[in-house]
Amino acid sequence: MATALTPRGETLPWGNRVNLRFIDWIWHVRGSLMLAPGQSNEDAFARLDPLFRESGTSHERTNDTLTFRKKDQAAQDKMAVFDSGTLRIEEGEAGLVLRYHLVSRALLFCFLVPLLFLAMAQITAIVVKHQKAGTEAVKTDKKADDKPAPQLNAVDKFLGAPAPEKPKKGGEDGPGKRGRKPSTTPAYVFAAIFAALYVGGRILEDRLIRSLFRKRLLGA
Amino acid sequence: MDGIRVGKRVIGSQAPVTVGWENIPKVEGGPVKRFVFTWFQPTMLFALIAFWYYAPNSIAKASTAIGIGIAFKVLLLGLEWVNPRYESWRLTWKELTTDLFYVGLGYTALRLVDSYIGSDAIAERILHLFHWEKLTLFMGLPLLVQAFLIAFMFDFVQYWMHRGMHNWYPLWLPHSVHHYITQLNVNKGAVGNPVELFLIGLGIGGFFDFLPRAFLISGAFGLAIGTYQHINVRFNSPRWWRFLFNTTEHHSLHHSRDFEATRSNYSNSFIFIDRMFGTCVDGEAELLGLEGGRRMSIREQMTYPFTEGWKTLSQRFGRQPIAMAAE
Repeated sequence: MATALTPRGETLPWGNRVNLRFIDWIWHVRGSLMLAPGQSNEDAFARLDPLFRESGTSHERTNDTLTFRKKDQAAQDKMAVFDSGTLRIEEGEAGLVLRYHLVSRALLFCFLVPLLFLAMAQITAIVVKHQKAGTEAVKTDKKADDKPAPQLNAVDKFLGAPAPEKPKKGGEDGPGKRGRKPSTTPAYVFAAIFAALYVGGRILEDRLIRSLFRKRLLGA
Repeated sequence: MDGIRVGKRVIGSQAPVTVGWENIPKVEGGPVKRFVFTWFQPTMLFALIAFWYYAPNSIAKASTAIGIGIAFKVLLLGLEWVNPRYESWRLTWKELTTDLFYVGLGYTALRLVDSYIGSDAIAERILHLFHWEKLTLFMGLPLLVQAFLIAFMFDFVQYWMHRGMHNWYPLWLPHSVHHYITQLNVNKGAVGNPVELFLIGLGIGGFFDFLPRAFLISGAFGLAIGTYQHINVRFNSPRWWRFLFNTTEHHSLHHSRDFEATRSNYSNSFIFIDRMFGTCVDGEAELLGLEGGRRMSIREQMTYPFTEGWKTLSQRFGRQPIAMAAE
């Protein structure tokens, strides 16, 4: 029976497990693979063993179960996205089956980050409104700015660079403005990017780990 | 490890590094690939400068610059895929997610903070307080000179800030987080504790006025030179390029696990500033990071300067345990 693990790998009481089961697919990856005919527990775990010898990884093994935990795993660790998990070899209908249950804080983080950026968008909207109100109050005190348009150097005129325009009052996106003023757009864009990254990552990492285990188990 | 003597220093006694351009591998592959990865950098730089120099005012806008910046980064991610400098720096989903999180913070939270206490905001307040105008002495200069001055002023201040971070413990604490990265990729420049990211963005540019177009051209310097600091692409950078500009080779040495090597190549875009002050070392490294290449989690990256600072303060000023008398 699969246990219910939190992102930190703690086992939850039964009542919480039932509820969590509906949402824990967000950061839990489960799957199973048939072992090759005649392959023993011992042989299967021996083939998977190098994956759990990476730096920052600790693991324990009984006859049919391997549990592991990772901390500060290396970027190129092939299981870097997972922080803990259990691999169990069970008797299936057609032979031995490897069932795995892996927990990833990175997936949970990526799932939640869009909310952070949406909150950031709301904060930015409030700040921009506040700043705009302040700027308009200052503007009403000022007389119209009648500065002439800046002139190009003779070298640039000769080389054909377009002449600069007279600066627009309060222009947010005028020529050469460095775009450093707060705006809600980047926050919304990053919320969308992370939502897409999560969907891509959840599918990709599921496939990658399955393929990694399969290669290890069937490889020479 | 014996290390290599460079001036008065011995580089590479703690971790493997390569010193000297003649020892750095070249791009491998057919003539087309070698041609592309030799001339890509200069071509893109001159193309971007020409674009911003001649673009009509209706196009020469900050929003266009942001669009070009994003497209260029995507292109560079493609180059990382095609021609990585080291297989051990391959971008993974987790690395990309981590990097983009920091890029996102830079565009949102950091920008919000900058609008209040960033160097431009502070300069504006100082100018307002003393009823001064921005210094316009550079506005009559040719556009390319103005653009260079904007980039150089920023780089010069950043050089000293960065060098200060490597020499003064309170500044090292926030910067150290950035040195825990164990591989270089296009967006790794954004990874770091937010305090450091704020500090490294400080400059004196807010006191000077330049033609708006000069800002866009200077942005091209940053994009088409500075971006290569953190990139996993093998280029045959031309000799003049690597003499003037910071490269991924220089910056990988700065990120190496060798302490002496990290105390070199501080500039952002213009490596000649390091040459001026004797801190430039030409070379590269593959093994990066601190504590033997321990990868730090985002949570620790956010808290590390404070927890480490607290530990240090406690050790220095906290109550010392009373030594038990020997029985």
